[in-house]
Amino acid sequence: MTALFEARGLHKRFGDRVVLESIDLAFEAGTLTGIMGPNGAGKTTCFNCLTGTYVPDGGTIRFDGHDIAGLPPHAVTRLGIARSFQTISLFDQDSVLDNLVVALPRMRRRSFDGWRDRARDREARDEAMEILDAIGLRARAHVRTKDLAYGERRALEIGLALATRPRILFLDEPTSGLGADGTARLTDLVARLKGRVTLVIIEHDMRFLFGLADVINVVHWGQVIARGTPRDLRDNEWVRRSALGGVAC
Amino acid sequence: MSAPPLRVEGLVKRYYASRWGRGAPSFELAADFTVEKPETIGVLGPNGSGKTTLFELVTGSNAPTSGRVLVEGRDIHAVRYRERDRLAIHYHQSYQVRSFHKRKPAFLMERAGRARPLVHLFDEPQFSVQDGYIGFMLEFFGALRREGNVVFLCMHPNEPFHLEILREACERFIFVRQGRITQFPSFDRLVADPDVRTYLGALAPAG
Repeated sequence: MTALFEARGLHKRFGDRVVLESIDLAFEAGTLTGIMGPNGAGKTTCFNCLTGTYVPDGGTIRFDGHDIAGLPPHAVTRLGIARSFQTISLFDQDSVLDNLVVALPRMRRRSFDGWRDRARDREARDEAMEILDAIGLRARAHVRTKDLAYGERRALEIGLALATRPRILFLDEPTSGLGADGTARLTDLVARLKGRVTLVIIEHDMRFLFGLADVINVVHWGQVIARGTPRDLRDNEWVRRSALGGVAC
Repeated sequence: MSAPPLRVEGLVKRYYASRWGRGAPSFELAADFTVEKPETIGVLGPNGSGKTTLFELVTGSNAPTSGRVLVEGRDIHAVRYRERDRLAIHYHQSYQVRSFHKRKPAFLMERAGRARPLVHLFDEPQFSVQDGYIGFMLEFFGALRREGNVVFLCMHPNEPFHLEILREACERFIFVRQGRITQFPSFDRLVADPDVRTYLGALAPAG
């Protein structure tokens, strides 16, 4: 079976530093894949290459039969690939609903026909409400975005990525900046999305991924140094010895 | 008999305080050793003792004053710059280093003659007990070693578990001090040495 998304021999360097060296990754449709690694191990660089933010210096990236290495981000998005960022960027002065409506691809196809646009606005609003349901923010639809709690902002950002109706969604360190409570809520959200969209999540926090991922890739020194199910990885003696040992699966 | 995986032959690197190389060298590193078979070798020593310089010389990113580094019999300093990473790789903390001072055109130099590196040098990997990555790193070293590679693990131990890692991962040891290297065939012999014990201070196991 060929994977929905596949990267082979990915190579990226910045001057004297080789950050990715011959990385192979494959994401099966409908699964949740984790990419983890210590700080500075090249996780985000890897992510940026996969999602078209960086052009890799070598290797191939295929998504559903298309070769996407080197395509600009908007072309990548059009194929059905969406991503979130470590740092959140939202329109703070506007309502939660408006942030989502603006992100819908249908809003980019406006005409000068006022009546048709009104009908479209209504459809767009319905669609945005559906996404708000999915991310658990329906009740907050009319709140000004800057009044959202940090965890809600993260959820909204995921909602914006979902607005493009992606077939594969990449999340970059979604738990960064979240407390235990926020992480728990995000875990619920991601668990709800699982199966509906193919997910790839970069995370430094192993605990978050251990509970959710089907497969985890550990990236370090620009290579995949370990790969397996959470159960396989947890079997490692040092993992058991570390603070992670007590985490339930 | 085929050439050993790594032969460091009369290797000397001198640094001078003055730019033109006059007067006495401000730092001198000298090393001569052979790795006869795939092995994991722990390298330790104080800051500024020459550990990283040794790694740079072995990977061909720093030219020696004299002596040779032979990877499977091939002098890495005579190999084309872009192909040296097929012989030896320097992993600095979390990424790989490729830094070469080009002295002559590549077409005058030799080919690497292999596709994948044989010598892997890990320079002070960041180990933290909390996050559990140590296990994956140690397994990675083990896999490289089982596939027939030579692995160097350079550490500057400042926690008891750092010594535990060295004992668990390494088969023999090299202690670097003031540009001179001493070899030890086992962890027990390493930690029994008076100089090593002085260096380790309170971390030295009771013995």
